[in-house]
Amino acid sequence: MIFGQIFETINTGLIVLNKDMTVKYWNRWMSLHSGIGADDIVGKNLFAVYPQLERAHFLRNCRAVLAFGNFGFFSQKLHQYLFPMPAPGSRAHEFEFMQQTCTMGPIRNEQGKIDGLYLSVQDVSDMVSYQKKLVRINQVDYLTGVYNRNFMENQLLKEIERCNRFKCQLSLLMIDVDHFKNINDNYGHQCGDATLKDITRRISANIRKTDFLIRYGGDEFCCLLTETPHQAAFKVAEQLRRAICDHPFEFNGTSYSCTISLGVASLGASDKSLEDLLRKADNALYGAKNCGRNIVVKTNG
Amino acid sequence: MSGDIQPLFADEEKDILQEVMNIAFGQASAELAEVIDIFVVLSVPDIKVLKGSDLPDYLCKELKPATTVNIIEQSFLGKFSGQALLVFPAGAEKELLHLFTQDQESNSQDIDIDIDTLETETLLEVGNILIGACIGKIAELLNDVVAYDPPHITAKNLNLENCESPVPAENFAISIRTMFRFEQQNVEGYLFLIANQSSIDWLKKALIAFLESFE
Repeated sequence: MIFGQIFETINTGLIVLNKDMTVKYWNRWMSLHSGIGADDIVGKNLFAVYPQLERAHFLRNCRAVLAFGNFGFFSQKLHQYLFPMPAPGSRAHEFEFMQQTCTMGPIRNEQGKIDGLYLSVQDVSDMVSYQKKLVRINQVDYLTGVYNRNFMENQLLKEIERCNRFKCQLSLLMIDVDHFKNINDNYGHQCGDATLKDITRRISANIRKTDFLIRYGGDEFCCLLTETPHQAAFKVAEQLRRAICDHPFEFNGTSYSCTISLGVASLGASDKSLEDLLRKADNALYGAKNCGRNIVVKTNG
Repeated sequence: MSGDIQPLFADEEKDILQEVMNIAFGQASAELAEVIDIFVVLSVPDIKVLKGSDLPDYLCKELKPATTVNIIEQSFLGKFSGQALLVFPAGAEKELLHLFTQDQESNSQDIDIDIDTLETETLLEVGNILIGACIGKIAELLNDVVAYDPPHITAKNLNLENCESPVPAENFAISIRTMFRFEQQNVEGYLFLIANQSSIDWLKKALIAFLESFE
């Protein structure tokens, strides 16, 4: 009596299946979120109503539960959901379907023999949404919306590993805004911020979707060019330089010019680490600064 | 508490424990192949009772030359209760991945899951299946029924040479060293059971009862 009430009113989806996968119980939570009432599904084979569940992974778990009382866990990370249901109202704009964590376990009869299994379905849409937000905050620069340095270090490590394994070409541009301090001093920090935003917009418009633009420090940026040999990276760098110096900037009706210096480096056979590549690009940038700025300098090789 | 520590299990109890594990692992191995098409050979387990504080050193010696490991932990709760730790040398997840992902492509949603997540989830799934099969069999032989918490990764790329024990120093861990062999791949793994202190008395009684059932 008590358990029956809890079964119906708990804020979790609960399903009981017979050994042959026919639905024995379907609680109110399941009816509410799936739109399928208990009367419409009890007695039917689960796979007749949810054919997409009839796949190896799910079946393997069912067999393990029925054969030796194992439990099965279906994480949201891997599956997103087992039962397609609309995401709850507040999350409807974020997810097409409710994000779920599901568990499966044995149901035993009075003799202790397994004669069915249960499934529980938990709505984890809120948690997933927060997780995504945290990941974003952790990877994206607040001001410009491009990737931040934390993201770069992880991504660069992955790219270097990939390049070492598949022998592909990777290039890195180090970018520094020339005399950025003057812009701040002459036009104010708001103008400085607007300049950085405009620069990232212009650079983003000139690189491919597979490249990564990163705000490395205050007025330093970094561009990770995947599958790009040295000479091609130099061309991209030159294009970026032109995109900044060829058109004046504007803030509150004031027009001013801004330029960038760039250092180009590519992953060579001897570069194994993140630091090797960064150092090469940094040296090239230093060279560009010494050459009078608004210029691209590449390493030899 | 000085001098000799009272051994946790008497020799006879240890022998029965070894016997129970032999049967449990043999059956688990057969059923995994039969029921879920995972061909895994579980070698005859070697049982040791260790103090938590000695675990890292022990693992370090046994797993040589590997020094980094991944550890999957899963709690089980019955009359026999505690934590199971499954220890794989780092890198094993890559070998396990393709055994377990052959059917994932039918996942109707076209989502791209990064490789790290996939490897982590593979470890969890392998852990859940192996721990469930082994513990389930042990429990069955001892007339118990257990339930499980979801498995989780307690240590990723843990360096054994300077780490704290995954088990409280004063607790005892029943180490069941076994090698898992999946089809052609040799993936060595270790299973440790940390029985809750409260269930050790039960375990001893159950072991005696198990022996008596054959007399």
